[in-house]
Amino acid sequence: MEPDLIKMKSKEIRKLILSTIVKAKGGHAGASLSEVDILATLYFHVLRISAETLQDPLRDRFILSKGHGSEGLYCTLAAKGILPKSELDRYLTHACDLSIHPTNHVPGVEICTGALGHGFSIAVGIALSAKKKNQSYRAFVLTGDGELEEGSNWEAAMSAAHFKLGNLTVIVDNNQLQLIDFISHTMEIEPLFDKFVSFGFDVHVVDGHSPQDLCRVFDNLDYEGDKPHAIIARTIKGKGISFMENVPEWHHRIPTEVEGEAAFRELEA
Amino acid sequence: MSKACLREIQAQTYIELVRQGYEIMYLVSDSVSTSRIKLFQQAYPERVVNLGIAEMNLMGVAAGLANGGFIPITGNATPFLISRSNEQLKIDISYSNSNVKVNGMHAGFSYGTDGVTHHEVNDISIMRGFPNFEIYAPCDPRECAQITTYAITERVGPVYISLNSGLFPNLTASDHKFIPGEPTQLAVGNDITIIALGTAVHDVLEAQQLLGGRCQADIFAFTSVRPLNAAPLLESIRRTGRVLTVEQHSTHGGAGSLVAELMAENGTGSKLRRRGIPEGSFTKNWSAPDNKRYFQLDAVGIETAVMHMLVD
Ligand SMILES: Cc1ncc(C[n+]2csc(CCOP(=O)(O)OP(=O)(O)O)c2C)c(N)n1
Ligand SMILES: [Mg+2]
Repeated sequence: MEPDLIKMKSKEIRKLILSTIVKAKGGHAGASLSEVDILATLYFHVLRISAETLQDPLRDRFILSKGHGSEGLYCTLAAKGILPKSELDRYLTHACDLSIHPTNHVPGVEICTGALGHGFSIAVGIALSAKKKNQSYRAFVLTGDGELEEGSNWEAAMSAAHFKLGNLTVIVDNNQLQLIDFISHTMEIEPLFDKFVSFGFDVHVVDGHSPQDLCRVFDNLDYEGDKPHAIIARTIKGKGISFMENVPEWHHRIPTEVEGEAAFRELEA
Repeated sequence: MSKACLREIQAQTYIELVRQGYEIMYLVSDSVSTSRIKLFQQAYPERVVNLGIAEMNLMGVAAGLANGGFIPITGNATPFLISRSNEQLKIDISYSNSNVKVNGMHAGFSYGTDGVTHHEVNDISIMRGFPNFEIYAPCDPRECAQITTYAITERVGPVYISLNSGLFPNLTASDHKFIPGEPTQLAVGNDITIIALGTAVHDVLEAQQLLGGRCQADIFAFTSVRPLNAAPLLESIRRTGRVLTVEQHSTHGGAGSLVAELMAENGTGSKLRRRGIPEGSFTKNWSAPDNKRYFQLDAVGIETAVMHMLVD
């Protein structure tokens, strides 16, 4: 799909996220809005995945390691036709499998996440499987930037380079914020670019809200090469809704009805 | 009756203890809201160390700070705090007998809809695997303050405190004195013995209201898991002939298990029912009250269990 069309999908997904969270009165608005353009680019341009191929052993795999961004994933899966949109209306009800942290009872979700610092290792295992079986599918994993404070990520990175996993791509949702504060005030992770380079990765820095730039980077990765890929996507937490952007409390604050309407107007504009 | 948050009670207690000269260092993992130590941080910013989202490092650093002469306290959501750092707990703290205090917040399913990844219904069972650790589950704000104080001022060595995140009124009398090892008895009766882990005893007392005159129960808050003076529990169990355990914890490895072990080893032969998260089950990704209802740990569920045992 062309970048302009991906942009329209992003817009649709943002609206779905907002209505889903407002209706369920639960979720992580800031964290989900931050990742939308990355997910839209992945699901509408990069990933070889569709509702029909969910069980295909050769499908590409996507892992949402920052599991608290579940609404972003659910709404992308709904926009893609993998998850019925009606399920979003039942978010957080007992009648439905959509929970705040995603489980693989949900179509399109590969594995349960929600405790940070697991997805990268899982993606290494997936990429290693493909390599050992000489299969062509690829593994993509999205981590938070605060999440990279977990040491397990760096064990995963070390092993990805050691096993020469060119079929593995880690995307960092680099919004500079973690739970309640900026990363630089909490536990610095920079210099991220140099860290990944020194771990043996092919590293790219990109505007994480530009489908055009994201497509260009993904299209030019050497998935058959020897180096795993790291894409540092510069993002804004709460992207798309002015009063949520870069405001720590929107990590998991729930918009009131009035705030929800104001946010909707911004997305419509 | 006024209710209080156990974590906030701890923060107030720590402020007072620093004033008294205790070299406390509070270690957090990203969130200061989970441990509710904002007030402590405002009073003593240099005594809070934020390790970021890195629980293994946090627990190892705590052991090092203890070696350096500080009294380190670690506090975070229980699953991340104790499961991520399991081997640091085992070797750096338990085996090495380091003077580290571990506060497990949001224990049980009190994290609600955040779900299974954020629930911890095995903390007692996990911590029982670590020698040298004293293990407590305070039942009310008063006991929480007393145990928190004791862990710093009297106990030199590892302490684990399991804290549910609800708001709780005091149940113990104003002259209550927490003694390590002693179960806290909150009601007296001969029909049945009810033993509840920490704050689960609030629901038991509510159930007692529902039971009205139909049943007189010996009710214990199982506050001190290790050390444990089992004599009062065994005396009661022998006398009533029936015991019900209630816990926001797996029935495997928690209060129910412990009581079963005691009964078997002491040959009491009384009837036992365990209410908790049945072995082999996950909690639900639901709110805490909904989980309580589902696992029949609310007052109505407990009342039903008691009535069944009485006629059984
Ligand atoms: C192991 C673990 N520790 C702590 C948490 C609690 N937690 C949830 S989200 C979050 C902050 C994540 O920040 P970041 O990775 O930057 O994600 P963002 O929301 O900014 O995209 C924390 C600490 C967790 N889920 N898992
Ligand atoms: Mg972030």
